[in-house]
Amino acid sequence: MSETAKFTEDILGAAKRKAQAILAEAESETKKSLEEARTHSTREAEAIVASARAEAEGVKRRQLSEARHRVKLIEQQEKSKILSEVLQLGRSRVLEVTKNDSKYVPFLTGLMEAGIREIGLDAVVVHTNAADMKRIDKAKIERDLLKKLERPVKIEWAKEHIESSGGATISSPDGRTRIVSTLNERFDALEAKLLVEAGRILFGE
Amino acid sequence: MSGIETVRIIVDAEREAARILQDAANKASEIRKRLDSRIREQHEEIVHRAKEEGSLLVREAEVKGKAEAAAYEKETEQRVRQALASASSKKEKAAAKVVELVLELKT
Repeated sequence: MSETAKFTEDILGAAKRKAQAILAEAESETKKSLEEARTHSTREAEAIVASARAEAEGVKRRQLSEARHRVKLIEQQEKSKILSEVLQLGRSRVLEVTKNDSKYVPFLTGLMEAGIREIGLDAVVVHTNAADMKRIDKAKIERDLLKKLERPVKIEWAKEHIESSGGATISSPDGRTRIVSTLNERFDALEAKLLVEAGRILFGE
Repeated sequence: MSGIETVRIIVDAEREAARILQDAANKASEIRKRLDSRIREQHEEIVHRAKEEGSLLVREAEVKGKAEAAAYEKETEQRVRQALASASSKKEKAAAKVVELVLELKT
């Protein structure tokens, strides 16, 4: 090989090596940047999957919670229905009692006694419903009341009847003070207790 | 070989060397220019795969959740029905208690 040929070969060889180095450096930089970017993207991807996992858990929890709610609602509605039926049945039974003098009259007398004690006056007016006005033995009840009260009380029987399925209302002679002891009022006043007691028997609550 | 011929050969070789280096520089520049788009493509691919995986997780959870909810409802409804049937059989007793409470004068 001539000196000239060797010289040109050296020039081209050096240029090729330098060119390879330039390309290798660019590829190396690119690879490094891509790896760094991959690390960032992977972290982002992990966050996306973690968030989806949490959402998935939420979806499952929500569906179960909705199912629980639906069942609970149906259960409450059914329980409420049974309780209403029981209260209605109780009302019917109590109304049957009002037709049985041997049970009703002592109860009515007791209601009147409690009302007179509560109002605490020496003179009272006793109001009953139309049916009771006609059938009860007022004189006997008055005697029983005075005996139980153990104090003199002037008892007057109202001429106007009250609208009630039973029981009585005790008022002052001027009508300003009233103690309502009707069956309707008792049902209203006792409703919470009736529901609790009935619920205890029905549902063991 | 004459001196002129020798100089021409050397000049040509240097020109070729310069072209090789210029080519390499152009290719390196091209590689660097493509980096942004490669990073973007890589990012999009990784995020897309993650979103797909996430969607699958949620879809599977919906299916599983529905099945679990249905199983729960079935099991619980059965229990509730039994409890309600038992309660219904105690209506008379509960009504008797209602009557007792209404007719007693302690309250």
